[in-house]
Amino acid sequence: MKKYQLGEFEEIVLLTVGVLFDEAYGVAVKEEIEKRLNRKVSVGALQSALRRMEKKGYLSSRVGETNEKRGGKPKRFFNITALGKEALEYSKDIRTELWDSIPSVALDLKIV
Amino acid sequence: MIRKIADRLFKWYCNPEYYPDIQGDLEELYSDHLEQNKKLAGLKYLADVILLFRPALIRPLFKNSIINSAMFRNYLKISIRNLQRHKVYTAINVIGLAIGLAGFLLINEYVNFEKSYDSFHHDADQTFRVGNLATSNGTIEVKDAMASYLAGKVLQDEIPEITNHTVTRKLDRMILRNAGSTYIEKGGVSADIRFFDFFNYKVLQGDVEHFFDDPHAVVLTQSKAKSYFGDANTVGQTIEMLTPNKVTLKVTGLIEDIPANTHYPFDILVSDGIMKSRDDYENWSYNNYYVYVKVQEGSDLTVLNEKLHQASLKQFGEETTEFMDIFPLTDIYLKSDYSYEPHIMGSQKAVTFLTIISIFILVIAWVNYVNLSTARAVDRAKEVGLRKVVGAIKAQLIGQFLFESFFINALGAIVALFLAQMALPYFNILVGKELVVDVWNYWPFLRALLIFTVAGTIISGVYPSLILSSFQPVTVLKGKFRNSKQGVYLRKGLVVLQFTASLVLIASTFTVYRQVQFMKGTDKGINTDHVLSLTVPRASTPEERKTFRTTINSFKDELRSNPNILVVGGTSNLPGGGHDDINATTDELKVIGKSDFLEGTTFMQWNDDYFMEAVGMQLVAGRNFDREMASDSAAIIPNQSFLRRHGITDDAEAVGLQVRWGQHEKARKYNIVGVVKDWNRTSLKTKVEPTIYMPWMTPRSLAIKLKPDNYKETIKFIDSKWSEFYPNVPLTYSFLDERFDTLYREDEKFGNVFAVFSTFAILVAMLGLFGLASFLSIQRTKEVGIRKVLGAEISQIVVIFFKDFIWLLGIAAIIGIPLIYFSMDQWLNNYAYRIDFPWALAVLSLFIVVAFALGTVGYQIYKVAVISPSRTLKYE
Repeated sequence: MKKYQLGEFEEIVLLTVGVLFDEAYGVAVKEEIEKRLNRKVSVGALQSALRRMEKKGYLSSRVGETNEKRGGKPKRFFNITALGKEALEYSKDIRTELWDSIPSVALDLKIV
Repeated sequence: MIRKIADRLFKWYCNPEYYPDIQGDLEELYSDHLEQNKKLAGLKYLADVILLFRPALIRPLFKNSIINSAMFRNYLKISIRNLQRHKVYTAINVIGLAIGLAGFLLINEYVNFEKSYDSFHHDADQTFRVGNLATSNGTIEVKDAMASYLAGKVLQDEIPEITNHTVTRKLDRMILRNAGSTYIEKGGVSADIRFFDFFNYKVLQGDVEHFFDDPHAVVLTQSKAKSYFGDANTVGQTIEMLTPNKVTLKVTGLIEDIPANTHYPFDILVSDGIMKSRDDYENWSYNNYYVYVKVQEGSDLTVLNEKLHQASLKQFGEETTEFMDIFPLTDIYLKSDYSYEPHIMGSQKAVTFLTIISIFILVIAWVNYVNLSTARAVDRAKEVGLRKVVGAIKAQLIGQFLFESFFINALGAIVALFLAQMALPYFNILVGKELVVDVWNYWPFLRALLIFTVAGTIISGVYPSLILSSFQPVTVLKGKFRNSKQGVYLRKGLVVLQFTASLVLIASTFTVYRQVQFMKGTDKGINTDHVLSLTVPRASTPEERKTFRTTINSFKDELRSNPNILVVGGTSNLPGGGHDDINATTDELKVIGKSDFLEGTTFMQWNDDYFMEAVGMQLVAGRNFDREMASDSAAIIPNQSFLRRHGITDDAEAVGLQVRWGQHEKARKYNIVGVVKDWNRTSLKTKVEPTIYMPWMTPRSLAIKLKPDNYKETIKFIDSKWSEFYPNVPLTYSFLDERFDTLYREDEKFGNVFAVFSTFAILVAMLGLFGLASFLSIQRTKEVGIRKVLGAEISQIVVIFFKDFIWLLGIAAIIGIPLIYFSMDQWLNNYAYRIDFPWALAVLSLFIVVAFALGTVGYQIYKVAVISPSRTLKYE
């Protein structure tokens, strides 16, 4: 588990970046998560997750165009790296493995 | 508006790399929000900014990252390697700093305690104590800490600035009885209802407003209550009082044990009502009470004292030589110069001296660091050169060396904590006070440790790091490195400083010891060997008063019947008491035909006819009292000081003269029947006072001269006789020479503290010198080799090195000896009987410093000098 450190929120952000492929910049990712997961995401939480994962090498970024609405500031687009993909797959595998290991009785249990 | 402020805040803390795009995101969100709700958009922006304050996003703490974590780790690694390689150097620095810090902080703790006296009372700075000044021809002669009972009330009525007063008296010796046991209590004081307005000790039981409603009420401290009643409820209990009055006391309150840092300690508070039977109660004529007053905030003390002066004139008449004054409560413990203080006083001088020693120790330890690290500069020069070549800037190098300094200081601090903890029990014994139990969890100590670790880092680290970081890569890497001239001078200066400090401390320690020895050894003028002293209880009931004389006389006769008891003498004041254990009068006296009425205090003691022989007072003229002669009721025996004051130089001439007491018509006349040689009744701090001895055949205190053989048996005999005559009270006795010894305990304690910390200071200084000499001699290894090749003897080489240090020692002597002279001569002036400034000891101290210094240096040089030149010059 030490191999790929990926928190729950980080995983969501990473996946969303994947979903938005090539269009994943701060506001877009935020809105996508809010839309899909129906939960509020603060800019701070999102940005720190993005920068952390960039440092870990799960994400790469490039500076994009500027526009009037952004006060002349550029967008920064994020992309999943190969390492990021591995981390996601690893995380998914772990979950699948866990799902498979649950005895079927445990899930069918009914409250009598 | 909010958005602008928020943005500025964000720009300030955000990592500049991330700022543009995150801010872009914020702007975009803001414009979206603006469409939804204009008012909330700004607030949401602000909320986002606040939520963006996260470790991953904030600006790195140091610009240009002088301290970035990778370099930091490198510094740590290099520091540790350096410290490991030069173990002696590390040990000297760490041990030195540890001793310095531990010593400094422990002393600091003590000094703070001494300064904290009485400051815990509320409005302590507005509380003053009324004292009495006896003047003679306009100059103050005696300052009495006590005032009369009425002083407080009258001053409050007369002077508007004085808003409250309380009167209390010390009850030095109470005898109480409870549940069949008898207790002698020395910690009793009387208190009136306003006592707790001044001294707000915490009340545990009882109603403080009604503590003293009953004239026989008593209030106990927790530990006293425990010794009387165990864990039982205290309030409502009763205690029998045997002395000074025979009454039943009712316990009305329980208070917390009072802290040690007060000048007026007590453990039993007796209602003021019990004093009513005394002559001095509500009377102007006796200054037997401690009177405290509260003044309005912001009152001018000089104006106030002028008003007190006027009040004194009004009260005592225009002709008075007696004046009231007030003294601040919080200054009493350290600064009071009044007589008749209720308890042992502190010494401002001792506190100052100790502060100086503690600073010496710490500075010596810091100097070690500065000296050793600059002397070692050569070792580090190449490292610095290389770092600069690969791009280090000066600020980074300063950072590195400061870090190293911090590292050593912090190590020292950790060791200091251990040292302080281990030394604490001994330190508590040394200063005679339980200051702190554990330094671990004592926050003020830890805080001070932290502060001085950081301060030490800066003070001792800045100069070496500036020096080390300023090397030019070109010169040092070429190998042409030399220490700068100024650096060498500074180092020599610091060594002189250390030598001087050591010299001053050694010489001062010697002087203090010498003075104490002198005081203990000086002939007091009486013989206290095997003289036992005891005091019989006061008569407290009418029946006892009737039989008091016969009881004490038959007790004395019984004692005399034992052949091992040589003399039994009686006196009002036993020798070896405190300097205020004596009676005194400010009445004007004259020797008829010899002197006019003289202002000034005359001291008085009442003795019986055996006392002179018991303590070996020497009669220089005339005779002793004779109980058979009726006329002797008006006889007096003055001492020589009294005669000198009245202008009589020939002792024999005085016998037969008369002394007139007081100016008024009916004033009595006394006949001088003999003259005694001056003798010291108390510590040699005070001069022999002009004293007259008067006859009284049944005083309560006895001085009993024993035969040296089997004196323990004799004491048993005295004890058995005591229980026959005074069955209610246990016998307490002391030997006169013990009484005198206790007078010097404070001075001895001071001497011991001085000696211990001086030793540490010198140890640290010598450690530093040891390290310094070691580096200097290693640096000159090749020079020594060449000298040997050219034919120098080892002794000659040693002398060459000594020359440098002899110079420094010489300068230290020139600075140090006058310093010792002025400080110690001033200290000795505290004593009425003092030694001359001990020049021989000053020279001895110098000799000790020289011997230690040259020994240390010589050892290091010798180590280098014995190496064969073939080894030292191998590489040339």
